[in-house]
Amino acid sequence: MKYKTSDTSQYTQAKEYIDTAIIPLIPFSFVSDQEMTQLSLQKEMTQIYIDQIEKELKGRVFVTPEYYYVKNDKISDEKLRLEEYVNHINKQPFKYIFLITPDNKWRKITKDMDVDLIWIPVIKEGNLNQSETQQLIQSQVKEIQSLIMDSWNE
Amino acid sequence: MTDKKNQVSRRQFLNYTLTGVGGFMGAAMVAPMVGFAIDPLLKGQKDTEFIYVMDVSEITNEPQRKTFKVDQVDGWYESQVDRTAWIFKTEEGNILALSPVCTHLGCTVDWASNEQYPNQFFCPCHNGRYTKTGVNIEGTPPTEPLHAYEYKVEDGKLLLGKAKKR
Repeated sequence: MKYKTSDTSQYTQAKEYIDTAIIPLIPFSFVSDQEMTQLSLQKEMTQIYIDQIEKELKGRVFVTPEYYYVKNDKISDEKLRLEEYVNHINKQPFKYIFLITPDNKWRKITKDMDVDLIWIPVIKEGNLNQSETQQLIQSQVKEIQSLIMDSWNE
Repeated sequence: MTDKKNQVSRRQFLNYTLTGVGGFMGAAMVAPMVGFAIDPLLKGQKDTEFIYVMDVSEITNEPQRKTFKVDQVDGWYESQVDRTAWIFKTEEGNILALSPVCTHLGCTVDWASNEQYPNQFFCPCHNGRYTKTGVNIEGTPPTEPLHAYEYKVEDGKLLLGKAKKR
């Protein structure tokens, strides 16, 4: 499910089945040209991952609107805002919350939160339309999918 | 007396003409609205395109997963989307191309992905199950069979159209 009318109206009718929220954490920056190129590529890749996962597991996962933040070395500044976001999402009866991000800095600060962090490895540069890249993404999507399914079966 | 009966009084004449004119005006306003309202239905029938997916000679008794691209007009957006089908020959020798979209809440079902049910379609979200021909198994969440694609065979090639309810 995504945050759009057709899906949310279905969600409100079938909440007991859709118990998993996926929150995309997406960094952006306008400081250097190089960083802009890199982070926009990361954003696109993250969205492809999430679209694929959502397509496979549509009936049980809800992809929330993206959590955007300015890329910063001191990511601890973001902790409070993320906690508030997660608490807010928890107003609905979700049992599992996954954060999906290309930014590996989140690992430390989400340790003590009741969430699962999925870090997706990203390519530094390149073309998302290349068939090797697509194959790579396909196989990693499978991995992430089984990771999510494993936590359902625990 | 009979003459008088057939004559139309001024009042009646005005009534008739006004109702008539009013009716036309009403119709003139309503007709386009009805047209707009059912327009998507009229258009929807046109885009039943059939797309080449695989050769008929490659179809086996075991379901094979095939993806193909379809142009989709979805309200405001026009895009190319991937469609997937599970294609196989049934015991009667007919071709069956099933849509992998679970009829419960839309997850993607997989053939024989659960070890306990090697001859069924299995949905990973809520353990929905379907028989090989796509019929939902009672006691699992789905309430109707998997949709099946319309298909055509031309020169030994299998072309798929839209997935339809069965």
